[in-house]
Order: sequence, then structure tokens, then C-alpha cells
Amino acid sequence: MADFESSAVVEVALRTLAVSGSALVVAVGLGLPVGLLLGRHRFPGRGLVVALVNSGMGLPPVVVGLVVALLLWRSGPLGALELMYTPQAMVVAQVLIALPLIVGISLASVGALPEDWHVQVRALGVRGLRAAWILVRETRLGLLAAVIAALGGILSEVGAVMMVGGNLEGETRVLTTGILMYTQMGRFEEAIALAVLLLGLTFVLAATLTAIQQARRT
Amino acid sequence: MTGPGRTVLSIRDLTVGYGTRNGGFELHVPSLDLHTGEVLAVLGPNGAGKSTLLRAMAGLLRPREGSVAVETDRPQALVFQRPILLRGSALYNAEVPLWAEGVARTERRRRAGHALTRFGIGDLARRNAATLSGGEVRRLALARAFVTEPGVLLLDEPFDDLDVAGREALSFDLRHAIAETEVAVAMVTHELRQALLLADRIAVLCEGRLVQVGSRDEILRRPASPAVAQLVGMDNVIAGVVVGRDAADLTLVEVRPGQHLRSAVHASPGEPVWIGIRPEHVKLDAKRGEDARIEHSTSSVFGEQPVPFRGQGPLGNLKGKVQRLVSDGTLATAWIDWEGSELRTHLIAGRGLGHTLEPGDPVLFAIRPEDVHLMPRRAAATGAGF
Repeated sequence: MADFESSAVVEVALRTLAVSGSALVVAVGLGLPVGLLLGRHRFPGRGLVVALVNSGMGLPPVVVGLVVALLLWRSGPLGALELMYTPQAMVVAQVLIALPLIVGISLASVGALPEDWHVQVRALGVRGLRAAWILVRETRLGLLAAVIAALGGILSEVGAVMMVGGNLEGETRVLTTGILMYTQMGRFEEAIALAVLLLGLTFVLAATLTAIQQARRT
Repeated sequence: MTGPGRTVLSIRDLTVGYGTRNGGFELHVPSLDLHTGEVLAVLGPNGAGKSTLLRAMAGLLRPREGSVAVETDRPQALVFQRPILLRGSALYNAEVPLWAEGVARTERRRRAGHALTRFGIGDLARRNAATLSGGEVRRLALARAFVTEPGVLLLDEPFDDLDVAGREALSFDLRHAIAETEVAVAMVTHELRQALLLADRIAVLCEGRLVQVGSRDEILRRPASPAVAQLVGMDNVIAGVVVGRDAADLTLVEVRPGQHLRSAVHASPGEPVWIGIRPEHVKLDAKRGEDARIEHSTSSVFGEQPVPFRGQGPLGNLKGKVQRLVSDGTLATAWIDWEGSELRTHLIAGRGLGHTLEPGDPVLFAIRPEDVHLMPRRAAATGAGF
């Protein structure tokens, strides 16, 4: 561990948290309402939308990386934003990976409610935002499962962030891209250190969400 | 009930439907009113449109035509056949309608607790709703419905899945709560016995059409059509034609040439009719055989006291032959062949005739003219009776 400083490791870990955390917040903010609405309402073409969401849950991250790269490339349609090889580009890619997972799992958990659930809640006089709150409360196990799945998906993802972030030291290097690079260089000690950190981080975050999910589970 | 109360819900020319291409369903109700303090039972077979009517009354289905007018400032409540409970305690569940109205927490708790006590589950307030039994779920759903002191309460099969003791106990508590709060209740059921547990009035629904509305007694004694007769246990329905009046001003109905019944219902000669007779009104004579003769029914298994019969046949009674007998251990049903027409009668299993009667036995029986009901028999039999 000659030139491998612990401060650099901490910096990479913090950047990983910042990038994936931001992506998760954006994806949850967009995905949960969409998932709840898709689960709640019937409309023509809904089947197609649900099928698209479900296939999006298996979207290969490298394809997402390619699409984001094409969009953000200097000569691409969004090239003027100069986001290529920045943490923001990585957030965009991770949001696209996390969104289908959050929408798909949350709409499935709304779909698992009894058929006339919504009618019965309406018959209790519950309307508008209160009805939305009751829906979130009833499906919170499934909704937190969606968040946990999305977190796992983006924390462990390497292809897309590598393509749009570029693994630039001090700028866009995160734990997964670091592991990839050190392994390719044969510097296994550093790779293992980052891997242990990634596993620890994943576990702590998942355990925290699980604790929230299981709290007062009555 | 102390006379009809104020009208709180009125239906006029209502048409509700779903699905248009084949397989659609349409419910039509020309007129139906609901009054404070009364229980109206909507009775009908499965698929008659009972739940659709209830949901239209609750405003959960938009009418295609006509209107459902609610004239009360108190809320409406609907209890579903399979009530869903929300995650949380029984008390939380009972609080939800008040929370929806924005009632403050302490007030909510107090009123929800009171509602639970009213339905005998006050001690279950802290229990996780998911661990309640079927009967407790029903009581909780009713408590939750009463918590807002509704002006109109709509119940979908409130006694379904309960045993007889459970039904009786629940009907007692429910009746008490209805009387206390002066709520107008419409309940839907497919079974006459459940309707009779609560109903002051009964509306009969068949294939999306309201076929009859009346008091319990009217519906039981004077069903408007064979379909209603079948629903209310008037199991004997045979075709006949009115031929005239006898000396006692009774309507004479011919079943077959030379085979007549007398009825206290008035009908014009020549009119084709359905004759309806409740099984318990076909009274067998205990003395079997050709010589038996009914002058008074001291021997009837149904009459505790002698019932003066006004006769049917020339001897004041009718002759028949037992075809078959079925017993469920409490009640026996005998099918009597009466000169080619089949009549059902009930006997007490294992006692009197219910013990001695066997297929093939000749029997004498009597039916009072006032127990012979007549219903119009036309191509499309609708509307009221005579």
C-alpha cells in the first residue's frame, strides 16, 4: 500500500455515497409517485407501460451508459451542458437504472392489494392526499423493498458510471470503478480494500432500510 | 319501528351499468325510498345487481340515467361483504373515517372506542386488526361504519360467513345501534332468513330489475311473481286459470279439468294465473288413508290449536299420494302428488307424520283459501299482483 492513501479511499467512498445517494433521492422522488399512480389507475395502454417498466428492471447498465454518453457527448444533443465525465452525468445514469426498479416494484405492491381496496378506502370517506398517505402506509413494505432494490442496483453498478464518469481520480472515481481499475492493474490490495468498503457500505444502508421497513410492522 | 320516518334517500329512474359489449350488466330501479330508522333489505339471487345497487346508493357508481338523492347532512357509510382492514390496531381502523373528516386525535380515540364498545369489541381496541376472527372483523367494520354517526348505512351481506348464533347476536347489536342512531339502513342479501333478521321492508331484485317492494308480510304472503315466490320460500307454484267465483265469493281456479282450488285473492275469470302456496300451508291429515277426512286440523302437525278449514275439495279436503320424503334431521319435506300436480309440504322430522309417512302412502290434505296466492301469468310477468 505504497501510494494508496486512506484519505483517498475515504474520498472515493464519500463520492460513491454522494453520487448514489443523490441518484436514489431523485429516483425515489420521481419513481414512487409514478409507481403508485400506475398501480392505482387503469387506462388504455397501461399494459404496455407496465411491460416497458418491467423490462426496464433488467436494463443492462452498459446500455444506459451508452445512451447517456450519446446524449452528453460534446457533439450530442445535450453536449452544451458539458456534463460528460462529471458526477452529475453519473447521477443521471444511475437514476435511469434505478427508476424502473422503483416504479416496477411499487406498482406491483399496489397491485397486490385486494381488488376493491381503493373503493373501500373511498367509502370510508378518505380522499385526496389522505388516500395517498393511507396507500403509502399500507404498501410500505413493498415500497421500501423497491428502495432497497434500487440502492443495491446503483451501488454495485460499474459499467454506466465508468462510461459517463470516466473514473477520473479526485473527480469521478467511485468504489466500483476503483475496484475495476486496481484489479486491471494487478493492485489487488487496493482492490480488496475498496471491495470491503463497498460491501460494508451496502450492508449498512440495506440494514438501515430494512430496520425502517420492519419497524412497528403491525 | 314507530311508523315511517323521514325520507333520506330516494332513487328515481335509476339506470346503472357496466360493460357495453356482450357481457355487460344493467340495473334499473324506477323508484325506491329509504326512511330514517328503517331497515330495507334488498333480496335477490346472485348476479341480480344487489351490490351494484348498493354502490350506486353510496355514490361509488355514477348512474347512466336517473338519480340517487340523499337528503341528510349526516355522512353515508358502506360496509362491504368482505371488509378490508388497514394495518394497525382495531382502534386505529375505527378511527380512520374520523381522521378523514379531520377530527382531532383525542376526540377520534374517544368516539372510536365508543363505537367498538357498542359492537361488543371494546376489549379488542389495542389488538392488531390482522389477528381478528371473521366475526370480530365484521363487528369492527360495523363499528367503523357507525363511528361517524351516518344518516344512511349500506350493508352488503352483513351476516354472510357467520354461524346462526353469530348472526343472531350481531343482528341484536345492530338493531340496537340502528334504533339508537335513527340511521336509515339498506342491506343486501341473497338469503331470505338473513333479510328477516333485520328488515322492516324488503325490495326484491331479479336480473337487474326491481320486481317488488313491500313489508315483510306482503313479500312473504303475496309475492308478485314466481321468481319472488321462490326467493321467499313459497315453494309450490303451479299454473292455473281463473274460472269464476263460488257461493262464498272465493275465486275458483282450475288447475286441470275437474281439478280446482279456491283462493281468497280476487281475479277475473279467464285470467291465466300462477298459484302459489307456502309448504307450511299444505296441511296433511294425521289419519292416513282413504277414509281420513279433515273437519278440523287438531291433528295437524303444524297447528297447535285447531284451525277451522274452509274446504277445498267436495269433502273439505284434497287427496294425494306421497311421492318422496327428504329429511335434514329437523325438518322433513314431503312431495305430494295431487292428481298430477306436485305440492311440497313440511313436517317435523321424526315426529307424527314426519315419523310414520312413507312414499306411496295416500294422504288427505287441506289448504285454506286465504293461503292460496295468485300471481299474474302473462308472457312477460312483471309488476305487482292483483
